[in-house]
Amino acid sequence: MRITDLLKKEGIRIGASPADKSEAIEMLIGLHEKCGSLNDTAVYREGILAREALGTTAIGMEIAIPHAKSEAVKAPALTAMTAPAGVDYGSPDGDPCKLLFMIAATTDGDVHMEVLARMMQLLMDTDFTEKLKNAKSPEEFLALIDAKETEKFPEEAAAAPAPKKEGYRVLAVTACPTGIAHTYMAAEALAKAGEKLGVPIKVETNGSGGAKNVLTAEDIANCDGIIIAADKSVDTARFDGKPVWSTKVADGIHKPEELIGRILNGEAPVFKADKKAEVTASVGNESFGRRLYKHLMNGVSHMLPFVVAGGIFIAIAFLIDAAKGVPMDGNFGSVTPVAAWFKAMGGYAFNFMLPILAGFIAMSIADRPGLLVGVVGGFLASNGATFADPGAVSTIPSGFLGALLAGFLAGWLLKLFEKLCDKLPRALEGLKPVLIYPLAGLGMVAVMMCAVNPIMGVINNALSSGLLWLNEHNLGVVLGCILGAMMSIDMGGPLNKAAYVFGTGMLASATTESYQVMASVMIGGMVPPLAIALSTIFFRNRWTADERKNGVVNIVMGLSFITEGAIPYAAAYPLKVIPSCALGSAVAGGLSWLFNCTLMAPHGGIFVVPTIGKPLLYLLALAAGAVVGMLMLALLKRPIKNED
Amino acid sequence: MIQKHFTIKNAQGLHMRPATNFATAMSHFPCSVTIRFNGKEVNAKSPMLIMAACIKGGSEIDLVCDGAREEDAINAASSMIENGFGE
Repeated sequence: MRITDLLKKEGIRIGASPADKSEAIEMLIGLHEKCGSLNDTAVYREGILAREALGTTAIGMEIAIPHAKSEAVKAPALTAMTAPAGVDYGSPDGDPCKLLFMIAATTDGDVHMEVLARMMQLLMDTDFTEKLKNAKSPEEFLALIDAKETEKFPEEAAAAPAPKKEGYRVLAVTACPTGIAHTYMAAEALAKAGEKLGVPIKVETNGSGGAKNVLTAEDIANCDGIIIAADKSVDTARFDGKPVWSTKVADGIHKPEELIGRILNGEAPVFKADKKAEVTASVGNESFGRRLYKHLMNGVSHMLPFVVAGGIFIAIAFLIDAAKGVPMDGNFGSVTPVAAWFKAMGGYAFNFMLPILAGFIAMSIADRPGLLVGVVGGFLASNGATFADPGAVSTIPSGFLGALLAGFLAGWLLKLFEKLCDKLPRALEGLKPVLIYPLAGLGMVAVMMCAVNPIMGVINNALSSGLLWLNEHNLGVVLGCILGAMMSIDMGGPLNKAAYVFGTGMLASATTESYQVMASVMIGGMVPPLAIALSTIFFRNRWTADERKNGVVNIVMGLSFITEGAIPYAAAYPLKVIPSCALGSAVAGGLSWLFNCTLMAPHGGIFVVPTIGKPLLYLLALAAGAVVGMLMLALLKRPIKNED
Repeated sequence: MIQKHFTIKNAQGLHMRPATNFATAMSHFPCSVTIRFNGKEVNAKSPMLIMAACIKGGSEIDLVCDGAREEDAINAASSMIENGFGE
């Protein structure tokens, strides 16, 4: 443990002039706070003052080293300050102190003793302490310590650069379904934890913009192991023969150090990618429900860009026609030539929605051979071909439910088929991926979908008529409430996505009700971050300083319909945050329906408000939901001072 | 010269407070007081040197007193170490 690992530039203050000992202590604590080393400043301060009460921590030679071991310390850290005019610190030799260090130690381990011992070994040299006292900048101060430490412990300096030559010890891949927030939050948390533990780590992000900071073959060959923190499928074949620990993306955000520890302690099982069956075995520690979710999310995340771009194009078409004052009949959106162009292009993107959804679900289950069966299955679901009417001239498409079924069932069937094919002679190995799997897959999925389509069509119709029924009986509000609440209960989890997939799926039927569904769905997803942001602003005493700071970001998140912004809060206080957000979202979703707000774009948050039917009432519903959520949160979550 | 073997009893070892108290107490005696620990000799009248030696709880040390009142010094040291520096 080097001093320079614990002391940061931001933790050094040069030329301070504290009036007395207690002000000097406050300044040093302030530096720790700035460096983010403390969980609870007040508790840490108590520790420091309790220690001073037992006797001064001034050690003579114009040096004082106040210190505390405390639960309030996140990670061992050091701050430093020079006070050229000196401060009376009750030193045993009676001299004022000009050089002050403050140790923040965690309650576990001997770091505290080791830091102290090491500092003493450096500080015994009075020439060195004089130089420190006269340092002109934090950079100079830190450079002096670094140089002295290298001189005093030459064996370490020689050892230190070595790990860098070997490359990264731990690698990680992060991915989440939407690839907007979680992927990067987990990557950042892992990188920070690696830095803190002194473990060289490289994190690849599989976000919406594609994979960044991609792990090279050399990285993989040289590492100790790989952490996969992902809620969707990532390319794992490259990790063959390395220890791999697979987990949820949330663990990457909340338990980065634990994950790194698992790799370093050799707890991760060695990953085998040469046979498909073993791939499943290695992820076998994941529950069935989780795997199901992962497959679904792989489909949804690949489908999303098609939905968003196509949906906004279509919304633009409606906007243009609306501006021209075209009558709102069946041709609405394609009357003006420009609008017609937008609507057609958006529609083409929409046509790919179901094939992509089913294709990537199947691919997540059965790897590359699954793509064909899924895409074709999804396409058959969207055109509704049957045995009697293979040309799909007058059929009812089975829609998104059929596409979901196609993706999963075709994926699993193909996987089963792949297993059966293991018994084939080895000579046929090369033919499997190019001929046998595709041929058998197409046959299977075609038969399956032609049989399923009529049934799914009936269910889909029932759903739509159920919606209509609810609406005719003035019960659409109930649906709005349910969808709104579903969006915020698990914020990006299965319930949220189920509601979202339902909403976007309904868009295809292009009725007023379906647009009302989408409006309720989106508003439900916008409320949670907003409710939390409002709470951090109007109920400040419920939150820590860090939580309040991030509250502002949540306004942007909420307005952009990125529900995930609320997750850190929901994860920290689930029983308080989730019911509050769900209630707020339900209110907003219900109101949106009540106001007959309609939304034709499946994403976009505040940016698509101009395309919303009754935009002002929509914003009113949104505000109402956020305020209800905030008030509920204020009721459930007591001020933190009372909790202490 | 007297030499005596000790095991540090308090869990935290000779961190700042015990090191300071111990060095202060030893400074009252005219004899030299030296801690032999981990192959090194440390002047036990300097809190800084004691701390720099990083003597953790459970460590084995030898204490060497040499000079006037060396018996008193080793007795004082003994009682401080044996009661874990009051921790």
